[in-house]
Amino acid sequence: MRRLETNVNDGNVGFQIAPMIDVVFVIMLFFMIMAGSVKVEKELNTKLPGVAITTAPTDFVDEQIIAISPQGDITLNDEPFDSAGSTDLPQLKGTLARLKQAADAAKSSLLITVISDPQAKYSRTVNVLDALAVVGIGNVTFTVSEEEQ
Amino acid sequence: MVDVLLVLLVFFMMITSAQVLKVDRTITLPLAPDAQKMDSKRSEVVINVRWHAEVRKAEFVIDDHVYATAGELTPPLKFAKAIGDKKITRSENPTFRAVIRGDKDVPALYISEAMNACGDSGISDISFSALNK
Repeated sequence: MRRLETNVNDGNVGFQIAPMIDVVFVIMLFFMIMAGSVKVEKELNTKLPGVAITTAPTDFVDEQIIAISPQGDITLNDEPFDSAGSTDLPQLKGTLARLKQAADAAKSSLLITVISDPQAKYSRTVNVLDALAVVGIGNVTFTVSEEEQ
Repeated sequence: MVDVLLVLLVFFMMITSAQVLKVDRTITLPLAPDAQKMDSKRSEVVINVRWHAEVRKAEFVIDDHVYATAGELTPPLKFAKAIGDKKITRSENPTFRAVIRGDKDVPALYISEAMNACGDSGISDISFSALNK
Protein backbone atom coordinates (compact mmCIF):
# COMPACT_ATOMS: atom_id res chain seq x y z
CA MET A 1 0.00 0.00 0.00
CA ARG A 2 1.35 3.37 -0.98
CA ARG A 3 1.70 6.05 1.67
CA LEU A 4 0.08 9.39 1.01
CA GLU A 5 2.75 12.04 1.05
CA THR A 6 2.42 15.78 1.03
CA ASN A 7 4.13 17.06 -2.01
CA VAL A 8 4.60 20.73 -2.72
CA ASN A 9 4.76 20.05 -6.42
CA ASP A 10 1.23 18.54 -6.39
CA GLY A 11 -0.23 21.81 -5.09
CA ASN A 12 -1.23 20.31 -1.73
CA VAL A 13 0.74 22.37 0.77
CA GLY A 14 -1.13 21.27 3.93
CA PHE A 15 -2.54 23.64 6.55
CA GLN A 16 -1.14 27.16 6.26
CA ILE A 17 -1.20 29.33 9.36
CA ALA A 18 -0.32 32.64 7.68
CA PRO A 19 -3.50 33.07 5.58
CA MET A 20 -5.57 32.04 8.59
CA ILE A 21 -3.99 34.79 10.68
CA ASP A 22 -4.76 37.25 7.89
CA VAL A 23 -8.42 36.23 7.81
CA VAL A 24 -8.76 36.28 11.61
CA PHE A 25 -7.11 39.68 11.70
CA VAL A 26 -9.54 41.11 9.15
CA ILE A 27 -12.55 39.67 11.01
CA MET A 28 -11.19 41.08 14.28
CA LEU A 29 -10.75 44.51 12.72
CA PHE A 30 -14.37 44.39 11.55
CA PHE A 31 -15.66 43.60 15.06
CA MET A 32 -13.33 46.18 16.64
CA ILE A 33 -14.78 48.90 14.42
CA MET A 34 -18.33 47.64 15.09
CA ALA A 35 -17.68 47.67 18.85
CA GLY A 36 -17.07 51.40 18.78
CA SER A 37 -20.53 52.14 17.42
CA VAL A 38 -22.45 49.73 19.65
CA LYS A 39 -25.49 51.44 21.15
CA VAL A 40 -26.23 50.30 24.67
CA GLU A 41 -29.85 50.08 25.67
CA LYS A 42 -30.69 51.88 28.91
CA GLU A 43 -33.81 52.16 31.02
CA LEU A 44 -35.89 54.80 32.77
CA ASN A 45 -38.07 53.38 35.52
CA THR A 46 -41.48 54.36 36.77
CA LYS A 47 -44.20 52.76 38.82
CA LEU A 48 -47.92 52.96 38.26
CA PRO A 49 -49.86 54.40 41.20
CA GLY A 50 -51.36 51.64 43.30
CA VAL A 51 -54.00 51.39 46.00
CA ALA A 52 -53.05 53.25 49.20
CA ILE A 53 -53.60 51.60 52.59
CA THR A 54 -56.01 53.93 54.34
CA THR A 55 -55.15 52.85 57.90
CA ALA A 56 -51.48 53.79 57.49
CA PRO A 57 -50.45 57.43 57.98
CA THR A 58 -50.05 59.21 54.67
CA ASP A 59 -47.24 61.69 54.06
CA PHE A 60 -48.14 64.78 52.09
CA VAL A 61 -46.02 65.02 49.01
CA ASP A 62 -44.85 68.06 47.14
CA GLU A 63 -46.33 67.54 43.67
CA GLN A 64 -45.00 69.35 40.62
CA ILE A 65 -46.52 69.05 37.17
CA ILE A 66 -44.49 69.03 33.97
CA ALA A 67 -46.58 69.44 30.83
CA ILE A 68 -45.46 68.70 27.27
CA SER A 69 -47.23 70.44 24.37
CA PRO A 70 -47.75 68.85 20.91
CA GLN A 71 -44.88 71.03 19.59
CA GLY A 72 -42.55 69.80 22.34
CA ASP A 73 -42.64 72.88 24.56
CA ILE A 74 -42.13 72.02 28.22
CA THR A 75 -43.74 73.80 31.15
CA LEU A 76 -43.19 73.22 34.84
CA ASN A 77 -46.27 74.38 36.77
CA ASP A 78 -47.35 76.43 33.71
CA GLU A 79 -43.98 78.17 33.47
CA PRO A 80 -42.16 77.50 30.17
CA PHE A 81 -38.66 75.99 30.26
CA ASP A 82 -36.14 75.53 27.44
CA SER A 83 -36.93 75.64 23.73
CA ALA A 84 -38.75 72.92 21.85
CA GLY A 85 -35.52 71.96 20.07
CA SER A 86 -33.46 71.53 23.21
CA THR A 87 -32.95 67.90 24.20
CA ASP A 88 -30.61 68.54 27.15
CA LEU A 89 -33.14 70.77 28.97
CA PRO A 90 -30.57 72.68 31.08
CA GLN A 91 -33.08 75.16 32.57
CA LEU A 92 -35.46 72.38 33.60
CA LYS A 93 -32.63 70.34 35.13
CA GLY A 94 -31.45 73.36 37.15
CA THR A 95 -34.92 74.10 38.48
CA LEU A 96 -35.60 70.46 39.29
CA ALA A 97 -32.28 70.21 41.14
CA ARG A 98 -33.26 73.21 43.29
CA LEU A 99 -36.70 71.68 43.94
CA LYS A 100 -35.06 68.41 44.96
CA GLN A 101 -32.72 70.21 47.35
CA ALA A 102 -35.65 72.12 48.87
CA ALA A 103 -37.68 68.91 49.25
CA ASP A 104 -34.71 67.11 50.84
CA ALA A 105 -34.15 70.01 53.24
CA ALA A 106 -37.84 69.97 54.22
CA LYS A 107 -37.68 66.14 54.48
CA SER A 108 -40.68 65.82 52.20
CA SER A 109 -40.87 63.65 49.12
CA LEU A 110 -41.06 65.26 45.71
CA LEU A 111 -43.58 63.83 43.27
CA ILE A 112 -43.36 64.79 39.61
CA THR A 113 -46.28 64.18 37.29
CA VAL A 114 -45.41 64.33 33.60
CA ILE A 115 -48.50 65.14 31.53
CA SER A 116 -47.88 64.86 27.83
CA ASP A 117 -50.18 65.91 25.04
CA PRO A 118 -51.46 62.74 23.28
CA GLN A 119 -49.90 63.82 20.00
CA ALA A 120 -46.56 64.94 21.45
CA LYS A 121 -43.63 62.77 20.44
CA TYR A 122 -42.57 60.06 22.89
CA SER A 123 -38.93 61.17 22.55
CA ARG A 124 -39.86 64.45 24.28
CA THR A 125 -41.24 62.50 27.24
CA VAL A 126 -37.99 60.53 27.40
CA ASN A 127 -36.04 63.84 27.39
CA VAL A 128 -37.99 64.91 30.49
CA LEU A 129 -37.62 61.50 32.18
CA ASP A 130 -33.89 61.65 31.45
CA ALA A 131 -33.66 65.10 33.07
CA LEU A 132 -35.47 63.71 36.13
CA ALA A 133 -33.05 60.76 36.25
CA VAL A 134 -30.07 63.16 36.20
CA VAL A 135 -31.44 65.15 39.12
CA GLY A 136 -32.21 61.94 41.02
CA ILE A 137 -35.97 62.24 41.28
CA GLY A 138 -37.40 58.74 41.24
CA ASN A 139 -40.97 59.47 42.25
CA VAL A 140 -42.34 60.08 38.77
CA THR A 141 -45.69 59.35 37.17
CA PHE A 142 -46.47 59.72 33.50
CA THR A 143 -49.82 60.27 31.85
CA VAL A 144 -51.32 61.93 28.81
CA SER A 145 -53.84 64.75 28.91
CA GLU A 146 -57.34 63.52 28.17
CA GLU A 147 -58.64 66.34 25.99
CA GLU A 148 -58.15 64.60 22.64
CA GLN A 149 -58.81 61.00 23.63
CA MET B 1 -0.09 34.80 18.54
CA VAL B 2 -2.97 32.94 16.94
CA ASP B 3 -4.36 32.20 20.40
CA VAL B 4 -4.30 35.87 21.35
CA LEU B 5 -5.94 36.85 18.07
CA LEU B 6 -8.69 34.29 18.54
CA VAL B 7 -9.36 35.44 22.12
CA LEU B 8 -9.59 39.06 20.95
CA LEU B 9 -11.87 38.01 18.10
CA VAL B 10 -14.24 36.18 20.44
CA PHE B 11 -14.23 39.15 22.84
CA PHE B 12 -15.19 41.68 20.17
CA MET B 13 -17.76 39.32 18.69
CA MET B 14 -19.43 38.96 22.07
CA ILE B 15 -19.65 42.65 22.88
CA THR B 16 -21.02 43.54 19.45
CA SER B 17 -23.56 40.72 19.14
CA ALA B 18 -24.96 40.61 22.70
CA GLN B 19 -27.03 43.74 22.18
CA VAL B 20 -28.13 42.85 18.67
CA LEU B 21 -30.10 39.73 19.52
CA LYS B 22 -33.10 41.36 21.22
CA VAL B 23 -33.35 44.50 19.15
CA ASP B 24 -36.38 45.18 16.96
CA ARG B 25 -34.79 46.98 14.02
CA THR B 26 -38.00 48.70 12.96
CA ILE B 27 -37.92 50.77 16.15
CA THR B 28 -35.68 53.81 16.61
CA LEU B 29 -35.36 54.27 20.35
CA PRO B 30 -35.17 57.78 21.83
CA LEU B 31 -31.94 59.00 23.40
CA ALA B 32 -31.41 59.18 27.16
CA PRO B 33 -27.66 59.39 27.89
CA ASP B 34 -28.17 59.68 31.65
CA ALA B 35 -30.53 56.75 32.11
CA GLN B 36 -29.38 53.76 34.11
CA LYS B 37 -27.98 50.61 32.58
CA MET B 38 -30.47 47.93 31.61
CA ASP B 39 -30.83 45.25 34.28
CA SER B 40 -30.96 42.01 32.33
CA LYS B 41 -31.51 39.82 35.40
CA ARG B 42 -35.07 41.01 35.95
CA SER B 43 -38.12 38.96 35.13
CA GLU B 44 -39.79 41.03 32.42
CA VAL B 45 -41.97 41.27 29.36
CA VAL B 46 -40.94 43.53 26.48
CA ILE B 47 -43.59 45.58 24.66
CA ASN B 48 -42.37 47.03 21.38
CA VAL B 49 -44.37 50.00 20.10
CA ARG B 50 -43.73 50.49 16.39
CA TRP B 51 -44.71 53.63 14.52
CA HIS B 52 -45.61 53.70 10.82
CA ALA B 53 -45.22 57.39 10.01
CA GLU B 54 -46.55 57.13 6.46
CA VAL B 55 -49.97 55.86 7.61
CA ARG B 56 -49.68 57.46 11.08
CA LYS B 57 -50.45 54.19 12.79
CA ALA B 58 -48.87 52.46 15.76
CA GLU B 59 -48.74 48.74 16.47
CA PHE B 60 -47.71 46.77 19.52
CA VAL B 61 -45.46 43.70 19.48
CA ILE B 62 -44.95 41.16 22.25
CA ASP B 63 -42.79 38.09 21.51
CA ASP B 64 -43.11 38.61 17.73
CA HIS B 65 -46.93 38.73 17.92
CA VAL B 66 -48.30 41.95 16.46
CA TYR B 67 -51.35 43.61 18.04
CA ALA B 68 -53.14 46.50 16.35
CA THR B 69 -54.58 48.01 19.52
CA ALA B 70 -53.37 48.23 23.10
CA GLY B 71 -56.60 46.62 24.31
CA GLU B 72 -55.43 43.31 22.84
CA LEU B 73 -52.27 43.37 24.99
CA THR B 74 -53.97 42.47 28.26
CA PRO B 75 -54.28 38.65 27.75
CA PRO B 76 -50.62 38.15 26.63
CA LEU B 77 -49.41 40.44 29.42
CA LYS B 78 -51.40 38.51 32.03
CA PHE B 79 -49.99 35.26 30.64
CA ALA B 80 -46.42 36.65 30.71
CA LYS B 81 -46.93 37.87 34.29
CA ALA B 82 -48.24 34.48 35.41
CA ILE B 83 -45.07 32.84 34.06
CA GLY B 84 -42.75 35.64 35.16
CA ASP B 85 -44.05 35.70 38.75
CA LYS B 86 -42.65 32.20 39.24
CA LYS B 87 -39.11 33.46 38.52
CA ILE B 88 -39.25 36.25 41.08
CA THR B 89 -36.67 36.24 43.84
CA ARG B 90 -36.42 38.64 46.75
CA SER B 91 -33.06 40.26 46.10
CA GLU B 92 -32.14 40.83 42.45
CA ASN B 93 -35.55 40.28 40.94
CA PRO B 94 -38.20 41.63 43.35
CA THR B 95 -41.07 42.32 40.93
CA PHE B 96 -42.17 41.39 37.48
CA ARG B 97 -41.87 44.35 35.16
CA ALA B 98 -42.80 45.52 31.69
CA VAL B 99 -40.22 47.17 29.44
CA ILE B 100 -41.74 49.52 26.89
CA ARG B 101 -39.59 49.97 23.79
CA GLY B 102 -41.31 52.78 21.95
CA ASP B 103 -40.20 54.41 18.70
CA LYS B 104 -39.00 57.97 19.28
CA ASP B 105 -41.65 59.41 16.93
CA VAL B 106 -44.64 57.54 18.31
CA PRO B 107 -47.25 59.86 19.90
CA ALA B 108 -47.29 59.66 23.70
CA LEU B 109 -50.90 58.48 23.55
CA TYR B 110 -49.84 54.98 22.45
CA ILE B 111 -47.24 54.70 25.20
CA SER B 112 -49.93 55.68 27.68
CA GLU B 113 -52.23 53.00 26.22
CA ALA B 114 -49.48 50.39 26.63
CA MET B 115 -49.06 51.52 30.25
CA ASN B 116 -52.81 51.20 30.80
CA ALA B 117 -52.68 47.65 29.45
CA CYS B 118 -49.87 46.92 31.94
CA GLY B 119 -52.01 48.33 34.74
CA ASP B 120 -54.98 46.20 33.66
CA SER B 121 -52.72 43.14 33.72
CA GLY B 122 -51.51 43.87 37.24
CA ILE B 123 -48.02 45.05 36.25
CA SER B 124 -47.12 48.26 38.08
CA ASP B 125 -43.34 48.27 37.53
CA ILE B 126 -42.65 49.80 34.13
CA SER B 127 -39.40 50.75 32.42
CA PHE B 128 -38.86 52.77 29.27
CA SER B 129 -36.04 51.78 26.95
CA ALA B 130 -33.70 54.35 25.47
CA LEU B 131 -30.27 54.45 23.85
CA ASN B 132 -27.11 55.98 25.25
CA LYS B 133 -26.12 57.61 21.94
